[in-house]
Amino acid sequence: MDEAQVIGLLVRRCVGGDAAAWEEIVQRFHRRIYNVCYRFAGDAENAQDLTQEVFIKMYRTLNTYDSGKGAFMTWVTTITRNLLVDHFRKTKSERLTDSLDGPASEHEDAQPLSDRIADQSRGPDEAAQSRETREMVHQALQKLSPELREAVILRDLQDMDYREIATALRVPEGTVKSRINRGRAELARLLQRTYRQVI
Amino acid sequence: MPEETKHGANCTEFEALLTEAIEGRLTGAQKESFEAHRRTCGICGPLFAEVQAGREWLRSLEAVEPPTFLVHNILAATSGVVSTRVAAPGALGTTPRRERLREWWDSWFAPLNAFVRQPRFVMSFGMIFFSGSLALSAAGVKASDVAKVSLRPSSIRHAYTDAQIKVVKYYDNVRFVYEIESKVRELKRAATPAEPAPQEEKQNHKNDTSGQPQERQDRNYSREQGDTVLAGLNGSEVIPVRPVASDAGTADLRIQGCSQPAARGSRVVSNNRRFV
Repeated sequence: MDEAQVIGLLVRRCVGGDAAAWEEIVQRFHRRIYNVCYRFAGDAENAQDLTQEVFIKMYRTLNTYDSGKGAFMTWVTTITRNLLVDHFRKTKSERLTDSLDGPASEHEDAQPLSDRIADQSRGPDEAAQSRETREMVHQALQKLSPELREAVILRDLQDMDYREIATALRVPEGTVKSRINRGRAELARLLQRTYRQVI
Repeated sequence: MPEETKHGANCTEFEALLTEAIEGRLTGAQKESFEAHRRTCGICGPLFAEVQAGREWLRSLEAVEPPTFLVHNILAATSGVVSTRVAAPGALGTTPRRERLREWWDSWFAPLNAFVRQPRFVMSFGMIFFSGSLALSAAGVKASDVAKVSLRPSSIRHAYTDAQIKVVKYYDNVRFVYEIESKVRELKRAATPAEPAPQEEKQNHKNDTSGQPQERQDRNYSREQGDTVLAGLNGSEVIPVRPVASDAGTADLRIQGCSQPAARGSRVVSNNRRFV
C-alpha cells in the first residue's frame, strides 16, 4: 500500500469518526505545516497559532477532500496557503518594513541581524552552515513579497514539485517557475546588499 | 527583460529554462545553448548566479522543530481527544517514562504556573494573607496557641462542648437583653396618655405660598393706597371715564350704564377690573 492509499484510508476512517486516524494525520503532517507557517509568518508563536488553525480547518472540511482531484498534501498545502494569505492581510499594517536592526526570532539569540552579519571571522562557505547565517536568511525571506515567499518555501523548503505548487497556489506552472526564480534572485540580492552595507 | 538573441537562445528562452538548468535537468543541445547564452549575456549571466545563490541560501535552512505540545493542542482544539503518543511519529513507547511524566506535568502545571506568576495574582494573594492575619490577630488567635492544640478525640470533643456552651450563653444573653428592652418599651407606652386624634386635613391651597389668609392674597400688589380704580365691562367697547365735577381734586367716577356715580374716594369692585 503506497502513501496516497494510506492517507486515503486514514481520511476515510477519520470522516467515519475514528479519533485515532485523526491523530495519525496530525502526527504525520503537523511538522511540515508548522515549518511552512514558521517560514512564512517569521516567528514561532504565529506559526503555532496558524498550524493549529490549519488543522481546525482541516478537521471541519475533511469530508470535502476528494482524492481524485489531487494529493492530500496538495489539499493541505492549499488550506495552509489560504490561511497564511489571510494572516498576511490581517497583519499587514502591524509589520515592520525593515528588520535589519530588529530583534531576532525566538529560535535564535536576541541579537540584531547587522551584528550577526558583522562577524567576519568566518568565510562565506563556513558561514552558510552556521546558525547565524540561517537566521539571516530567514530574516531576508520575510522581506520577500508573499507571492515569491510562498513559492520558494514550497519549492526549496518543502520540495514540492511544480505541478503541486501550481495546484496549491492556483496559478499556472510557468508562473510558479517564474516566481521561484524571482524569489531566489531577490533573496540573493537582499543578502548581498546586507553584506555590503555591514562590511 | 529585453529580447536579446545570442548564440541561438534569447533571454526569454533562457528564463524559461532557468529552473531546469539550476536543478541540473538540461541535457544535450539545449544545455549547450543555455550555457552559451549565460556566458555572453550581460543580464542573464548575473541573473543565473543570483538565482543559484538564492537557492543555495534557501537550501541551507533546516527544518525547525515544532513545540512539544503542538500536537496535544491541535487534538484538544479539534477532536478533543488527548494524544497518547509523543510528537515524533513511530516513536511510541521509546520515550522514557520520566520524560512523559515531565510532559504530563508541564501540560497541567505550566498554565497554572504562568497564572500564579502574574503580579496581580501575587498582589491579591498578599492582600488575602494580610487580611487573614489581621482577622486572626483581632480574634486573639496566636500561632503558639495553635501549636498547643491537642488533637486527641477527647480534647476535640471537650473543645467542641466548650465552644457550644459559649455560643448558647451568648445567644441567651442576647435574648435576655431584647426581652428587657421590649418590656421597657411596653411600660413607656402604658405611661404615656393617648395622643389626640389627628385634626382634619387642612384645605389644599396650592397658591398659598405666603401662609396668609385667602382674602388677603387677592390684593393688588401694584396699587397704592388711594389710587384710582376704573371699573369696566366685558366687551370690546372702551368705557369712557370723565369727571363729573369741575373742580379739580374732587373728580368722581361714573360708570357707563350706571346711574349712580361712584362715591368719592370709594373703590369700585368688579370681576373684570381695569387698572390705570
